[in-house]
Amino acid sequence: MTHTLHRRGTKESLRTDYIVFGITAQQFNGKDSAQVLKKFFDIVSPLHPTNMGDMRQGGMLTVADLPAGVQDNSIVHAVFNDLETLEEAVRRLKTADLGISIVVSSLCDDVAELAKRNNVKLHTQEVSLGIHGNLKKLPAEEFLHVTTQCGHGLIAANLVKSMVEKVKNGKITPRKASEEICKQCSCGVGNINRTEALLKDMAGIA
Amino acid sequence: MLVMDTCIGCGLCVPYCPMNAIEVKDRKAVIDLDECVECGVCLKAKVCPKDALKNDETYTEARLLRKTFSDPWVTHKSTNVLGRGTEEMKTNDVTNRFGKGVCGIAVELGRPGTGTRFYDVEKVAKACAASNVEFEPYNPVTSLMTNVKTGEMNKEFINEKALSAIVEFICPNDKVVQVLKDIKKVSAELDTVFSLDICCMAEDDGSFPMYAMIKEAGFTSSLNGKTNIGMGRMQLKF
Ligand code: SF4
Ligand code: SF4
Repeated sequence: MTHTLHRRGTKESLRTDYIVFGITAQQFNGKDSAQVLKKFFDIVSPLHPTNMGDMRQGGMLTVADLPAGVQDNSIVHAVFNDLETLEEAVRRLKTADLGISIVVSSLCDDVAELAKRNNVKLHTQEVSLGIHGNLKKLPAEEFLHVTTQCGHGLIAANLVKSMVEKVKNGKITPRKASEEICKQCSCGVGNINRTEALLKDMAGIA
Repeated sequence: MLVMDTCIGCGLCVPYCPMNAIEVKDRKAVIDLDECVECGVCLKAKVCPKDALKNDETYTEARLLRKTFSDPWVTHKSTNVLGRGTEEMKTNDVTNRFGKGVCGIAVELGRPGTGTRFYDVEKVAKACAASNVEFEPYNPVTSLMTNVKTGEMNKEFINEKALSAIVEFICPNDKVVQVLKDIKKVSAELDTVFSLDICCMAEDDGSFPMYAMIKEAGFTSSLNGKTNIGMGRMQLKF
């Protein structure tokens, strides 16, 4: 599943959106891998990601103890708002040398630079070639900057619209609205800080 | 998804539905079951004050199919991966599924946020099959094909709707440009949208050969992407 690909936004906004995740290959090294995947959280948690999650369980907004519920076919994620912290996470994962596959979702230039600086050899890259077909069906681009953070499509454009209205009317804080939106993403890859900033923009508040 | 009689028509669940399938009529929530893809978002959002939303435990095969493709917490029998996708390039450093000389291509119909009928999935699958691509065997869409050579799909489910469905395949580098052009062509015939992506393994010099093919086919790649940074191996450190 290309669940962290196809995220849309301006370059400036995407510069606040860095994801690192760990996964094992079910037919190759998946057996008993839960105990190793758990260590991913031990490594990234001290770096205070804006969100963390596990495809099997949900994100940190809905699950109290993520490491406890990790399974062999979990995909474990951490979302950061700057390249420096992502890079530190990658460095720590490299040192730990767990043997699980590590994937970074980011601006491609950034991951290339990160690789050079840390003597990491990029293995495989995947990029989006955009949205095609009956484009009349899409909501406004600004809503897609939020909804595409959930690759499974669980964040409704109508929910974003409704939260923007509530923020405008002072019925909810941008933070709470962002958390409510990011809770819908069942992998915990919604970028809570970035979504908060996008909601503020859409609601026209500083 | 079912609405129980306890519903008071408060409308709180309405904006959560990614398919816009819920409306309040005569002070009751009504779900358009032809549009509902059984993703379960309305229920999992836990906003209903009357606990009035319930999964239909007597799903027909067709409703269950919708759920498999739409609820990421359901594992499809053809994969051991939650949701409608596969491990694809995420574990390529271990599996070598996409080796040198090939690209992986995925056409995710219904993404972002529009949903897709399987007749549109079939149109894309057939367009890709024309170049003899190898459909990913561990993908739920492939398991719905009655003929993996032509991309033809099981007619029983052709009008069913899913939140999204991925046509996923391996393509030799010398066919990539043509397949991408074919995909662009078929896009004009669809009721829905799709998100398109491509992946490949790095060459020894660290370059990714797909970028030249993307350009030749007339596409522009996103500034952001997903990169497997090569730390996986057969033996884990326990
Ligand atoms: S199950 Fe999904 S598609 Fe169906 S009504 Fe609920 S949110 Fe909408
Ligand atoms: S939230 Fe519950 S009570 Fe309110 S409209 Fe939806 S189903 Fe009915």
